[in-house]
Amino acid sequence: MSKETCVSRNRKKEGGGSGSRKERIGGFWNWKERMGGFWNRKERMGGFWNQRRKTLFWIRFAAIYLLVVLVDGLLMSPENYGVDYSAKFIAPCFAHPFGTDYMGRDMFFRSIKGLSNSIVIGLLASAVSSLIALAFGVAAAVKGGLIDQFVSWCVDLCMGIPHLMLLILISFMMGKGGTGVTAAVALTHWPELTRLVRAEAIQIRSAQYVQASYRMGKTWYEAAWQHMIPQVLPVYLIGVVLLFPHVIMHEAAITFLGFGFSPETPAIGVILSESMNHIATGKWWMAVFPGLLLLLAVMLFDVAGENLKRLLNPNSGNE
Amino acid sequence: MKKKVLGILCCLILAASGILAGCGQRDNGNPADGSEKNLENDSGGQSQDRGSAGENSADSIICYVGHGFWDGSLDPVKGGFSYGYDFINNGLVRVNPQAEYEGDLAESWEVSEDSLVYTYKLKEGVKFQDGSAFTAEDVVFTYETVMENQGQNGEVDLSKLKKVEAVDEYTLMFTLEEPFSPFLDVTAQLGIVPKDGYDSVAFDQMPVGTGPWKVVQYDTEQQLIVEANEEYFEGAPKIKRVTFVDMDNEAAFSNARSGQLDVVMVQPSYAAEALEGMHMEKLETMDVRNISLPCRKPGTFTNEKGETVEAGNPVTSDLAVRKALAIGISRQEVIQNAFNGVGRPAEGWTDNLVWGNTIEFEDAKVEEARKLLEENGWTDEDGDGVREKNGVKCAFEVYTPSDEQDRYLLAAAVAENVKELGISIEVKQAAWDELVEKTYTQGVVWGFGQYSPMVIDNQYQSSHFTVQAYSNPSGYENQKVDDLIAKAVSANNHKDAIAAWKEVQAAYAGDYPYLYLVNIEHCYFVSDRLYISPDTQIPHPHGHGIPIICNMKDWEVREKR
Repeated sequence: MSKETCVSRNRKKEGGGSGSRKERIGGFWNWKERMGGFWNRKERMGGFWNQRRKTLFWIRFAAIYLLVVLVDGLLMSPENYGVDYSAKFIAPCFAHPFGTDYMGRDMFFRSIKGLSNSIVIGLLASAVSSLIALAFGVAAAVKGGLIDQFVSWCVDLCMGIPHLMLLILISFMMGKGGTGVTAAVALTHWPELTRLVRAEAIQIRSAQYVQASYRMGKTWYEAAWQHMIPQVLPVYLIGVVLLFPHVIMHEAAITFLGFGFSPETPAIGVILSESMNHIATGKWWMAVFPGLLLLLAVMLFDVAGENLKRLLNPNSGNE
Repeated sequence: MKKKVLGILCCLILAASGILAGCGQRDNGNPADGSEKNLENDSGGQSQDRGSAGENSADSIICYVGHGFWDGSLDPVKGGFSYGYDFINNGLVRVNPQAEYEGDLAESWEVSEDSLVYTYKLKEGVKFQDGSAFTAEDVVFTYETVMENQGQNGEVDLSKLKKVEAVDEYTLMFTLEEPFSPFLDVTAQLGIVPKDGYDSVAFDQMPVGTGPWKVVQYDTEQQLIVEANEEYFEGAPKIKRVTFVDMDNEAAFSNARSGQLDVVMVQPSYAAEALEGMHMEKLETMDVRNISLPCRKPGTFTNEKGETVEAGNPVTSDLAVRKALAIGISRQEVIQNAFNGVGRPAEGWTDNLVWGNTIEFEDAKVEEARKLLEENGWTDEDGDGVREKNGVKCAFEVYTPSDEQDRYLLAAAVAENVKELGISIEVKQAAWDELVEKTYTQGVVWGFGQYSPMVIDNQYQSSHFTVQAYSNPSGYENQKVDDLIAKAVSANNHKDAIAAWKEVQAAYAGDYPYLYLVNIEHCYFVSDRLYISPDTQIPHPHGHGIPIICNMKDWEVREKR
């Protein structure tokens, strides 16, 4: 939802060119300007931490965090999070920064491995979802008519079913486990992005240069490939990045509910649902640290996505 | 303008419907209250002041005995409370603390020479909670109703019963279709309802029986409130009011921590915790955990019903592997790791059962187990720590039900333990309907424990494989065992039957179709002011939670020492 409103806001800006984001939000942000504050002066003078640099910093930071977690998890030896009954329920300490669980497994390594699994699934699922969205969205806009109706119908159908239910249904049908989760999250995250892409493409469709290219004898396919997709790409890329935290959260959610990964797989959802059994006895570290790790990953992606949006948007990109 | 009017109209309609709904509820409430009062007046007219029995007062307690026990009908005819101990209704016989049968509503019983006729002499002067007298007619009515509606009752199986007759007011005669020695267990399970007062609908919520407790209020999946039956024929319970609450284990533990519960069931993993004002009671059970090891060679299997299934496992079908597992693992270590040391090692049925006859052996003999595997061709050629034989890895899967964390812990601890034998076990979780099919080809963790020796028939009789869910999950087949089971079932007296059941256990002992692991102990935190009379507790059957109430009529609230 928020994506849509953001985009419509951007579009409004493109049309009306109504100044910077701060002006629009008004009140709260203006004090800096009025006071002629530190940040503001630096920004105006093109200091080191201008919007562009800040944005790039966040994007890099998010990318590095996720890459490190991903690679670390992929290369990790299973022994790091293996069972060790002599080390049950150790509170966070130097040897076990996140503590250990009821089977003496090191929660730090287990969480990293779990998050890494989530990221792999997230990448896979958002790639699949976004490709579906791009194909559907552009096809609907370019071909119009029946195909447009069909795509809209599919989107409505998928959005009509509560998302979590759809996830559970698909995951259960595919036999749960890794395949089930991946299929479920990959096949359910395209509708919102499809709407975005379709709306954007419809706008471009009526642009003169597109019309002109038709008149010059280009096929719809060529027009779509050469004129539409490059135009839709910024919105699409931002959509993909912002899709990612959703996918990770949903993966964790259905695993938490017991429809995803099986308990022997290290996954954040599994870890969190297991920790619920022990939270009443005061084993707080089993839930807190993995939860924070997941939260951090999701928030970083969100920040990276929002910043990317600002950067790719012609109006805010040069602030 | 139009819109505004419409909006106001909508608001009005909403408000009106809200008020109406409220009225409706109140209207519904009144007659219910009235009927409750009537019921109380009926049951002896000693209506107690309900308001005064508040939380934790001197003679009322609040208990949590597990999640999901209070979700169905309380009517014994529909399978409610078929645990074999007195609660709201009594059966004809019951189990005593020595796990032997004694008369409950029956004074005595005898079995005919051909083991087809069971004659029960009933106790005289027993009254139902509604004041009516208990006679043989009530028993006949109860049994006949269950026979007619067997489909509603999955707990008490009367299919072997041909007819039940009242010889006189206090004598009963059961005639069976065929000899069936465990019939005694059946008569322990079925609570008797009054013939005159029975109401199939009302009894779901408010059954009337002869038992020490009568229902005050029952909210499905929320709570059950019972009050002492002052007229109980063995003397009124000392505690006057008990509330059972239904919540999940963790919530119950937190409630106990804040001092709101007098009894709270906990999993063994909580047993090491300390709660202020409460102490831990670990109660003896007959509940064992084992892993079924598929005994058949891989292939297809067609059962009596003509269904063909994939069955068998290339690894566990080798007796050497099964035996190596049985003697090679350290049960004590497994219990330590999985259950914090709560529970006792078990190699078969427990000896607190009158028919229990476990051929015990020493375990944790790692060297011997390794040698046995080597001799039978299971060697580790590629050095990965797992043995192979003819290209087959000495590895199999063990499934545990996804709703039971404890069984997962147990299986995981076993998997850790058998690594040093060179056997690899992969522990997985699945839903019950999936487990039922997985058991044909892979190991599954089971929990069994009941007074009736029919559990042996259930686990070892070859014809049950794939026919009944949960029966003979390892696909065990042994003609001698089948014959001995038949002999035990058709015995015409208790003694012969028990002797035969013991023989059965000796006959299958060398085949290790199940890897017996632990005789679990049921853990409860009990308030220090409450005395649960451990001497009259019967060994708990399967089902962690509710068995603690088996002797609730003997409990006492004592002041804090």
